[in-house]
Amino acid sequence: MPSLKSWFPIPKNSHFSLANLPFGIISTASKATPRPAVAIGDHCLDLQEFSASGAFSSLGFDVSVFSKPTLNDFASLGRPVHGSVRKFLQDVFAENSSNAQVLQNNKSLQEKCLIPRDGVTMHLPMQIRDYTDFYAGKNHAFNVGCLFRGPDNALQPNYTHLPVGYHGRASSVVVSGTPITRPNGQILENPAATPKVPTFSPCKRLDIELELGAFLCKGNKMGTNIPISEAADHIFGFVLLNDWSARDIQAWEYVPLGPFLGKNFGSTISPWIVLADALEPFRSTGIPNDTQLLPYLQEKEKNVYDIKLQVDITPDGGETTTILNSNGRNLLFSFAQMLAHHSIGGCPMAVGDLLGSGTISGTEPGSEGSMLEISKGGKETVKLNGGVERKFLQDGDTITMYGVCGTEETGLVGFGECTGKILPAPKL
Amino acid sequence: MAPLKSWLQVDPKSHFSLHNIPFGIISTLDTPEPHPAVAIGEYALDLHVFSQQNGFSALSIIQPHQKVFSEPTLNAFAALGRPIHRVVREYLQSLFLDNGPFPDVLEKNEQLRKATLLPLKNCKMHLPMFISDYTDFYAGLNHAYNVGVLFRGPQNALQPNYKHLPVGYHGRASSVVVSGTSIRRPNGQILSNPAAEKKEPVFSECKKLDIELELGCFVCKPSKMGEPIRIEDAPKHLFGVVLLNDWSARDIQAWEYVPLGPFNAKNFGTTISAWVVLIDALEPFATVGIANDTELLPYLDEKDRKSNYAIDLSVSLTTSSSKTTNIGDLLGSGTISGESKTEKGCLLEQTDNGKIEITLEGGEKRTFLEDGDTVTLTGVCGSENGALVGFGDCVGRIEPAVQLNL
Repeated sequence: MPSLKSWFPIPKNSHFSLANLPFGIISTASKATPRPAVAIGDHCLDLQEFSASGAFSSLGFDVSVFSKPTLNDFASLGRPVHGSVRKFLQDVFAENSSNAQVLQNNKSLQEKCLIPRDGVTMHLPMQIRDYTDFYAGKNHAFNVGCLFRGPDNALQPNYTHLPVGYHGRASSVVVSGTPITRPNGQILENPAATPKVPTFSPCKRLDIELELGAFLCKGNKMGTNIPISEAADHIFGFVLLNDWSARDIQAWEYVPLGPFLGKNFGSTISPWIVLADALEPFRSTGIPNDTQLLPYLQEKEKNVYDIKLQVDITPDGGETTTILNSNGRNLLFSFAQMLAHHSIGGCPMAVGDLLGSGTISGTEPGSEGSMLEISKGGKETVKLNGGVERKFLQDGDTITMYGVCGTEETGLVGFGECTGKILPAPKL
Repeated sequence: MAPLKSWLQVDPKSHFSLHNIPFGIISTLDTPEPHPAVAIGEYALDLHVFSQQNGFSALSIIQPHQKVFSEPTLNAFAALGRPIHRVVREYLQSLFLDNGPFPDVLEKNEQLRKATLLPLKNCKMHLPMFISDYTDFYAGLNHAYNVGVLFRGPQNALQPNYKHLPVGYHGRASSVVVSGTSIRRPNGQILSNPAAEKKEPVFSECKKLDIELELGCFVCKPSKMGEPIRIEDAPKHLFGVVLLNDWSARDIQAWEYVPLGPFNAKNFGTTISAWVVLIDALEPFATVGIANDTELLPYLDEKDRKSNYAIDLSVSLTTSSSKTTNIGDLLGSGTISGESKTEKGCLLEQTDNGKIEITLEGGEKRTFLEDGDTVTLTGVCGSENGALVGFGDCVGRIEPAVQLNL
């Protein structure tokens, strides 16, 4: 892939190289209305201002989508339009471009549209109609299963046959930077005791889950399904997702209907949606599945992505420690398979739906995507920089997730930050 | 309670008596954009036209907010809060009273009556609210027990957590549809032989399609993330109640649900009745629910407040040859399966997981639903003619599964 050099100053190690061009929703001090933008290097391009100049007129789509407070209307235009917009912008920013008159030679438009990112407020990039979380990180599922049932019964009989998932709470998905309040709830002080009598308490086992999120740009009518061969048309782009989890609340509540309050106090996503097109060069195979899948789940393409993932923890006023490095390939099922399965019974999907991949853990120590795994079920402490120790999260801790593909030569394609700080539980 | 009398002809057996005044969203040939209405007898009072023609002129509190009656959902009206819902409902009730306080508004106003009182049969119903999230609970103890016995025996029927907290799971908001919408039998993975040691799923249409008789409650007041709603404040947040049929694919559910709960077994469709009965209309029927012998943690303690409702619930099944059978006559006090044999809110319980056939009118037999079956849920509070408060129908017809050559 040729490296895309730009006339615009883009730091070599930026995750927002010309090979990326992710979409988000910004607001600024001078203009408080949230509107679409594209990230480029240390800047972003205000798409409302940019499109108002007529720059997109040759592409023939309805530019009013760039005056909306979410990306849903833009996403609805479909993948061919997303592709042509992104290609056009790549060309506009390329050195020796045939479109130099659009921006490169237009200083006043540059002043209107190009905004330093450190002065910008990010908003949820899409109106999330429904949120589903899957469980396709096989190593995570195995590790957690081992903790509770031993290796022989770690995975349920259904695990390799279908992408297990559950409906999440759409209203609780927030953009990176939003503080996360420790939940109160029912926990078992002594899970091994009988009879089981819960107490009311702040969560004492607050955890993270490193995931990828996929946003949909196209739905289906109730009663119809999305064939796996068409799944790609429905997927807009990807974000990082931190599925904060209250392990003690979850353990007491989850049988038989699944996780509920253990999850719905908050889930954080990174603010810049990396389009599916931008991840094309990084397609990869995922975890091999030795189970013969039913035909509706069989796919020919490699639909998993090689994304280097990293999670850092920073205690309040303390030093930052990287607590895990993983990779987006550590998934047993792809988003295409999750979507085909989700809609197979006629469930209506919609523009703005968010799918979570499930916790992405590798097989090696240091690659586990949750503190439950890293601490071996809360048995071992993790030593952080600055002489600090952790098993689970404490009040004041900030967790930041990163993801990036590619090399500096070809242009890094990254997700920005997915971050959140833990606030104390309210005293009730 | 003496029934309120109206100048309007309202059948004494109507579930939409003057004691009810439920809210819904209608469209008509004349006004095809969905908009709010209330139901009274066999009529809808079109609130969009009513407000546009100054029907609310005698009600000062609603004056600044009238645009809520031109919205395509009830969300904006609900957001005005319970004090306003109460006042609006009582005002509308008063307009229909015999010798009421405002006879000039509607009773003696032929033009406004003609413009706003529409036969229900001429109205198309729409989802009454935009549902941003849907959660399904599991608070029907008898149902949970019956189902638990089927799968785990009486000793382990209920999980240790069951009585300590209202077990719930997030549902699929996009799959909630209004009464009358067809429900297509889902395809999915089911076990060819559930009893076999080695679990082999096959791809098939669902063979154990079931209903679940529930009540649904809509929220009218949000809360901020990180801030719980105190139980003493909860009534301020609740708008009104509908019937809810949580159609279920039992075979798909059995294979998928461990460990993260029901998913495709539920998200192919959930039906709600079209008319939202306001909490105020249900207050006269407030009662205690099933006694909980577990000591609840304080945040769940309602103290002496009675917040279950005595609603008679029924389920009928109409086959494609149009024979209708009542498959459940249930008495509810907030419970959705009663204790007796005839009070079971789903076919899984009624047929002992498919072991016992029920016989329908006309002799057909059923374990689970067949293509072409129509299920109708109905509910009504009270027994006094002229004072009944009901929900209208919650109905859905089963369409055959899509043929996927997979």
